[in-house]
Amino acid sequence: MNQTTTAATSPITGLKRLLNGPWTPAAIMVLAFVAASMAFFAINGREPVGLFFEMVRGGFGDGYSFSETLVKTSPILLTALAIALPARLGLISVGAEGQLYLGALFGTGTVLLAFDQPGWLLMPLMLAGAMVGGAVWGIVPALLKTRLGVNETISTLLLNYVGILMVSFVVHGPWKNPNSLGWPSTVEFPEGAILPTFFDTRVHMGLVFGIVAAMILHVLVTRSRWGLGLQVSRSNPRVGATAGISYEKNVLLVMAIGGLLAGLAGIAEASVIQNRLQDGLATGYGLTGFLVAWLSGQHFLRIIPLSILMGGLMASADSLQLYAQLPKASADILQAVLFIIVLAVGGLWRRRTMA
Amino acid sequence: MEMIIIEVLSLLFAALRSATPVLAVVLGEIMTQRSGVINLGVEGQMLMGAMTGFAVTAITGDPWLGVVAACGAGILLSLVHVVLVLGCGANQIASGIAVMILGGGLSAYYGIPFVGEKINSFDSFGGSGIGSIPLIGRFLGATTPTVLLTLISIPVISLFLYRTRSGLHWRSVGESSEITRNLGHSPVPYQFAAIVFGGLMSGFAGAALAVDYTSNWVEHMTAGRGLVAVGLVIVARWNPWYALPAALLFGVSEALNLRLQSWGVDVSQYLLATLPYLIPLVVLMLSFRGLKAGGGGMPMGLKAVFTNS
Repeated sequence: MNQTTTAATSPITGLKRLLNGPWTPAAIMVLAFVAASMAFFAINGREPVGLFFEMVRGGFGDGYSFSETLVKTSPILLTALAIALPARLGLISVGAEGQLYLGALFGTGTVLLAFDQPGWLLMPLMLAGAMVGGAVWGIVPALLKTRLGVNETISTLLLNYVGILMVSFVVHGPWKNPNSLGWPSTVEFPEGAILPTFFDTRVHMGLVFGIVAAMILHVLVTRSRWGLGLQVSRSNPRVGATAGISYEKNVLLVMAIGGLLAGLAGIAEASVIQNRLQDGLATGYGLTGFLVAWLSGQHFLRIIPLSILMGGLMASADSLQLYAQLPKASADILQAVLFIIVLAVGGLWRRRTMA
Repeated sequence: MEMIIIEVLSLLFAALRSATPVLAVVLGEIMTQRSGVINLGVEGQMLMGAMTGFAVTAITGDPWLGVVAACGAGILLSLVHVVLVLGCGANQIASGIAVMILGGGLSAYYGIPFVGEKINSFDSFGGSGIGSIPLIGRFLGATTPTVLLTLISIPVISLFLYRTRSGLHWRSVGESSEITRNLGHSPVPYQFAAIVFGGLMSGFAGAALAVDYTSNWVEHMTAGRGLVAVGLVIVARWNPWYALPAALLFGVSEALNLRLQSWGVDVSQYLLATLPYLIPLVVLMLSFRGLKAGGGGMPMGLKAVFTNS
């Protein structure tokens, strides 16, 4: 008799266990996002269901659209890593956008200096320049934090604008191509400074850098002494210090590494996508990266598929603009809606499981 | 000598005009942070205010209606932060950035028909007799209603915060929501009001920018003014009286940027345009020094947000 009762209740407890499982909030988030984006289309007088599927097709429908999704994935992936790594130390950096621009700036500067060098030399120099540029824009707020205690969220937000303006300065001023007929940009990069692309698409090495970096960071942070040190420092810097882990040094390190990854994203955009440095290089990727880092719960491996999804959203916004005349800003709105849903569901779920 | 005085005065009043939108955001954010909540979404709220205010002014022809609508838009958007932070217990920084992206996106989306539109803006006070006061008059005359309203809100806010019972509760919520709760008050209504007031002020700031200062709407026209304001709250040490000099830092940097160009200083406009971000950042560095030493007037409830080490 005892057995029959357990047999009778087990499907219910099984269902309960399933509902309390880790996938439930994710499923709620997905459903809420689908509903919210359809509502957004409907509010703007479009046919919601059809347009939603059009959006999915625009990102993942065929080989070409998926390749464009992967093109957008690269900078999102790299900037998300640039946010997630400092977050592992409890830092809330929003500086990936500025770091991306500085990477493009320094990388382009290197290309212009070593313009006539052969590709085998020019390419590594360019990438090194980009990494230095991005890292500098990570180290500045890190130093401001460790030396003066300036909150890194505010300093990185302000430095983003400075980085973008510095690129504007060089493309309107000293580096402006005199033959570009007033269009503010540098000269076209030489062949040797164009990152390799794959299978006749615009998908480029930046994606490989991002995936490899995500895997290395995952192993380092979860398996190494250094990663353990970050965790200790995050929860209690004083305990960390007694174990010989310098919080200050780690702040500099994670911000520098994050910055150099975002810097790579910047030079890849300039080199492959634009073939030159110009204004409005990659506006918004930094904030999208921030969003992806939060969606992933600062988990490096989860960042990879989430970046692809978000890249799909951005690529499909391009095609929706083309086919349904939806303004480009709709991508920002949908991103924000997704972020809000994730924060709301995540917050409520945490509260529920704690209660 | 008189030339120099006139030049300095005109720079100062130009600074005041360009500082006004920032000042309004700083004042609102001071009130928000005094309740222990930080809201980076003011940037998006400001954009929504700017777009809504401009659109309503363009349609109705009445800038006052535009200002009122802008305040409403700022409040509406700030409710997202209310729901996420107070309702769902989400991270304040992340929620603020979500609001920022949403405001930027919505204002760009619905503002498209109004790009390049012309509006009837406020008249300056020049014609009302103030303009005939010697020396100062021509500068005072150049001020507009949003400048005056923002300046008046400084004593109003500080009277409320320091001289009323509600103000005392408001501040105590920001110091410790736990103690407030133990004293039998719920911190939630105060924080709700604080975020909504921040929404009102940043929406108003958007109108002060788009309807009054520039009489123009372009997407993302606030260009980080809201975020600069959040930084300046620290410079102002969460004190409404210090908000004016703090916001003038931005105003002077921007006015200087324009002035240097007209003086024929041969520096790229793009480099000069970094001043309104760099100068507040530099002053912020000095402020944080004091913050590290003695707290600098930071509401204790914000400690978790600011010193996450």
